[in-house]
Amino acid sequence: MAYVATRGGEKAIDQAERLFRQDLGTIDAARVASIQQSMPYLVDRVMGEASLYSEELAALALAQTGGELSEAVLVLRAWRTTQPRLAVAAPVRQDDLLTQRRISAAFKDIPGGQILGPTLDYSHRLLATDVLEGKPYTPPAVEAAATPAPARQPSLADWQRQQGLVAPATEPTIAPDDIPDLTREPLLFPASRAHRLQSLARAETGGVLALGYAAMRGYGNAHPTVNELRLAEAEVVVRHPNGTPFSAGRVRVSQAEVTSKEKGGYLELGFAATFGWNEVKVIAAATLDLNSAEAPVGSPVHEEFYLYHTEPVEASGFCIHFKLPHYVTFQSVLDAMRDAKAKAASAQPAPEAATERQTEPAE
Amino acid sequence: MSLSALTKPWAATSYGFLDASAKRELRRKMLKAIAVPGCQMPYASREVPMARGWGTGGLQVTLTLVNPASTIKVIDQGADDGVNAASIRRFISRVSGATETWDTLGASIIQSRHRVPEETLGADQILVLQVPNPEPLRGVEPNMSIARQMHADADYGRLWLTLYEQIVRKGRIMQGAAYPSLVNGRHVMTPSPIPRWDVPKLHMAKHLTFLSAGREKRLHAVPPYTRVEPLVFSDRPYRVEDHADLVCRRSGISGYFMNEIPQDHGGSAFEVSDSNLGIKAIRRAEGEPVEIGATWYQDGEFSA
Repeated sequence: MAYVATRGGEKAIDQAERLFRQDLGTIDAARVASIQQSMPYLVDRVMGEASLYSEELAALALAQTGGELSEAVLVLRAWRTTQPRLAVAAPVRQDDLLTQRRISAAFKDIPGGQILGPTLDYSHRLLATDVLEGKPYTPPAVEAAATPAPARQPSLADWQRQQGLVAPATEPTIAPDDIPDLTREPLLFPASRAHRLQSLARAETGGVLALGYAAMRGYGNAHPTVNELRLAEAEVVVRHPNGTPFSAGRVRVSQAEVTSKEKGGYLELGFAATFGWNEVKVIAAATLDLNSAEAPVGSPVHEEFYLYHTEPVEASGFCIHFKLPHYVTFQSVLDAMRDAKAKAASAQPAPEAATERQTEPAE
Repeated sequence: MSLSALTKPWAATSYGFLDASAKRELRRKMLKAIAVPGCQMPYASREVPMARGWGTGGLQVTLTLVNPASTIKVIDQGADDGVNAASIRRFISRVSGATETWDTLGASIIQSRHRVPEETLGADQILVLQVPNPEPLRGVEPNMSIARQMHADADYGRLWLTLYEQIVRKGRIMQGAAYPSLVNGRHVMTPSPIPRWDVPKLHMAKHLTFLSAGREKRLHAVPPYTRVEPLVFSDRPYRVEDHADLVCRRSGISGYFMNEIPQDHGGSAFEVSDSNLGIKAIRRAEGEPVEIGATWYQDGEFSA
């Protein structure tokens, strides 16, 4: 049994996991609640990439992984796998959204107005070091406007359609249950529009930003103008078995619509939406969508390229798998290399080769 | 009839972790893969509680095949106690109640990364290989859509050209593991990164082999008694690794694929890669009654 005694892999993995968990200490409901309350944007990002909307479960995933984002997303995705698909929610229209922030860079003002909502866009990014010196930061109260902005805002693209600037919308004829579901079917190319937008919705924020930024910088042919950016809450409307539609709750959503230039007499629009409030992700993703149509195969803005490479669970998993042993494959490579070198050495004319060898450093 | 008679008690997850809809999809794709040997079948590939690239494709196939009467063996690089193999085996048995084993002869399902066991598999056994990259054409065509078209056209010219260029440049084919092989005379597959030593074990085998890539969402199969022919030129025969004469420093057996262990003083020692075969040989040498099955290789020569 000496052979076994020198390995002991099963015990080692058990202890390695204990070391990781020991550093994080006891995880209780209070810690989860504190993450949920103090880091809503991080929770949103994780919910988006996991394509699972539950602030509590996302906060739990962050707590038990110590904020290792790719691990948090994986643990949520794996949990999601175990859940049944109970219903398909009704489509959400832009003018149904309970909108908290909605801006357009395409016009100075738009029907319904520019609603800044909550943002750090115009803040000075100063680190609040006072907090560490015992002076807690309490944000000043918000002064309400004389007339509150309406909860629902019209769609800018609808106005553009009325003006003939954007192609008329075609109503989908597909039954809700038949909408392709990326979590239940493989992604094939060319991807259906549903699959492309679903894949972008659950894409890794950093990955989408990197490729979207590449497109913006010049590796795409469309420089985006933000037609409309929204942070909102959407009602999840499902149908009761007795036929009555009802709202099962609200989810925070972001959406971006970007445009660039004319095509066929209309402005082209790129679109992206995701769970949670994540502006960087939807702007970058909408830019990729906008650039897709004319993208050369193999370029970073071609859909097969960016959809494959922004999949968070696949990308991070493959990256970390290189830590696994590869000594069998490596042995196979060594075998071919040694044989090729031996062949090359025996093919060389002996005397000249030998003299030359001596002057070279040892291999 | 009451509602409770129609339903099962609530459980956090389904039997074998995957839910019924996921298993149904996988079964369909596995049957299609058997029907068209070596052809890659796309599947949805659900997330499982393990990182992509760590055997999630093999795991989904195993979880679909497993039942409480199954006996499962999981190996990584030939070893049953590799950290990831141990983790996968523990997970499968936890969610399925299947029996765990290290013994190739006693296993009904063998999930493996990068090796085919040395003991000959039988008709009642299924081999599930974990596949990182299911596409043999990736090296010559990274775009999956174009590669799919090339498979449809049996357009493997660029693959042949790569092998030819290696002979011209290096005097031999340099492909290490994952040697591209023609299945049933029609589809070229990657046999997953098993060493060249293991590819002949798939040819006209008694057992069924599934090859599943969870991250890439593709699976393919080699059904029993199916031709698996490595791509070679008629005047350049297929060459397995030069391991026939190496001797395992622990068990003393030879004629099998070995792990090379670098030594402090320079040079290398060798240990048999199929670790449980080594353990069985040691036990037998110590006088225990241990059954060692027939092996594909005898005295370093493939003989099946």
